[in-house]
Formats: sequence, structure tokens, C-alpha cells
Amino acid sequence: MTDDDIRRMVNEVFIESFEIEPAKIKPEANIFMDLGLDSLDVVDLVVALQNKFNVKIRSDERVRDIRTLADLQNFIIALRNEGAFTQNG
Amino acid sequence: MVKRVTTVLLNLWFYPLFVIYTLLAVPAMSLVVILSFPGTWRTALKRFRGAIKVYGNVIIKVLPFPWVRIRFKDYAPQEKAGPYIFVVNHPAATDAFLMAVLPGEIVQVVNKWPFKLPVLGQFARWAGYLSVNEMPYEEFFARAVRYVEEGVSVVVFPEGTRSSSKAMGQFHGAMFRVALKTQATIVPVCIWGNKDIPERGSMVLRPGTIKVHKLKAVVFDEYKEMNPFKLKNYIRRLIAVELEGM
Repeated sequence: MTDDDIRRMVNEVFIESFEIEPAKIKPEANIFMDLGLDSLDVVDLVVALQNKFNVKIRSDERVRDIRTLADLQNFIIALRNEGAFTQNG
Repeated sequence: MVKRVTTVLLNLWFYPLFVIYTLLAVPAMSLVVILSFPGTWRTALKRFRGAIKVYGNVIIKVLPFPWVRIRFKDYAPQEKAGPYIFVVNHPAATDAFLMAVLPGEIVQVVNKWPFKLPVLGQFARWAGYLSVNEMPYEEFFARAVRYVEEGVSVVVFPEGTRSSSKAMGQFHGAMFRVALKTQATIVPVCIWGNKDIPERGSMVLRPGTIKVHKLKAVVFDEYKEMNPFKLKNYIRRLIAVELEGM
């Protein structure tokens, strides 16, 4: 799975699970201010990402620092690089 | 010049009356509760919440008249008495008082600061208003669900903080999860015209007309297929469209 595949799949989660207009899906979009998710939606987002990538996402420092879509995409890419997909998939 | 004089007159008139009226209303409202016994606690609470609405209606409609006028427009006055989840935009600090125009028994979901107001904060606590930032989400959810199931309407300002403009902030979805759980009817409500009554960071009231529009109810059948995220944005759009024309 390439970096671009991961970025595309993360975007799909926002479009499919939250029905956000594709035009709003930009790397610099703030997940809370621009895309309108709240703290409860983030729980749903984590579940959707776990299902999409077949990976376990734990709440750690990196998760708490996520603000933009690009931050989230890079976090998932980092999980792949750590072998988390293979280990938990 | 005329504007300045009317502003001074309004404030010289309103605030002393507000204090006197509140000092008289506090024992009267306490009496309402005392006279509810012997009876159930539920009956006492219902009467107390009713008394708060009467108090609020006098504050917003009588005391500042004729300098401040309330124009309440109800798009569906024939609808049943509730319970509803009233979803309201939040342009100013006085929004909570304006909710006295809404029908039925209501509690409000408020921030921390209204609970810190002298007397009124204690009344809000006794009436069972929910301080959303002072309780875990699970407790908030359980209490809000219980209110709706008991037939009490819940007023929520899902922006969480004042917007001061027609460009609303993003909505928080907690109350929409309550709606999906209870299958409650949602009523969008729009407020406009009070951002300077008083303006943010000031106590000075300025003359003007405040509009409150209660929109047509959105019943469970209309939103049952939506997830909380989609539902909150659907209701937000309904309010935004109405606000544009206010």
C-alpha cells in the first residue's frame, strides 16, 4: 500500500462515513474547524479508520496532536511504516 | 445623539427594574415550589420550570419595552406540546433568556458561566439545567435522555460559544445523539438582532428588535437514516438558511 493509497483511503472515510463534500477534503483542512467533526465524531472516525485499514489505533501523543487531514494521513502512513497493518491485520 | 439618549434611558430603566423584579420573583418562585407540596417532586419541578419561563418572559418582553422588542415567529404553532429538542444558534449572552418564548416545559443545556450568576445560576441548577462542560459525556447523555423520556423539552446551543454573527460555528453533536436515541422531534430555532443587547464584554443594552423564529419540526422519520454527524449538519443548514433571511 503506497502513501497515495493511504491518503486516498483516509479521504474515502470522510466522504463515506461523514458524507463530507469531496471539495472540502484538502490536506490542510482542520478536522474540527473546517470539516466539522467534534470529539464524539472522532470516536466514530477512529472506528471507521480501524475498519478501513484493519489496524488498531491507540490513543497516544501522536493522536492527540492531529489537527489537519494531512496530520491524520501522515499518522496512518507512520502506522504502516511501523508494521501495524501487518501485525494487527 | 438620540440613539445615545435612548441607550442611557433604556439602561437606567432596565437594570434597577431587573434587580427589583428579581428580588420579588425569587420568593415568589420559591413559593411556587413550596405550594406544590404535598405532591410529587416531578410536579414541583414542572411548576418551578414554568415559573422560570414566566420570569424570563417578563425580563425579555416587559422590562426593556419599548426600547427592546421581541418578534417571535412560530412556523408551526399547531404542533404538539413536546417534548422537543430545540436546537438554537447562539449569537449573544441573552439567548438563554429568550428561550422563555418557547412552548412547554423546558430545561437548557448551558455552559459553565450561567451557573455562576448570582441567584439565577442557583435557579438554573435547581431546575435541572445541564452544565455540559461540568459532567462526563455519559452522565450528560443519560440525563438528557431521561428528560426527553419524561416529556421535558431540552434547549441546546450546539455551537457551544457565542458566534456574534450569522456565520455559525461548527455544531457539537452530543444532543443529536440524544435525539437519535430517544427518537425525539427536533425543532430548529433562529435568533437574530441581540448581538448588541448587550454586546460581548459589555453590560450596556442597546435599543433594537430581537427576532426569534421557531422553525417547522423535524420528526424522527425524517432523520432516522442519518448518523449524528449528518444530522447535526442537516439541522445547521436549516438554521443557516433561515438566518440569511432574518
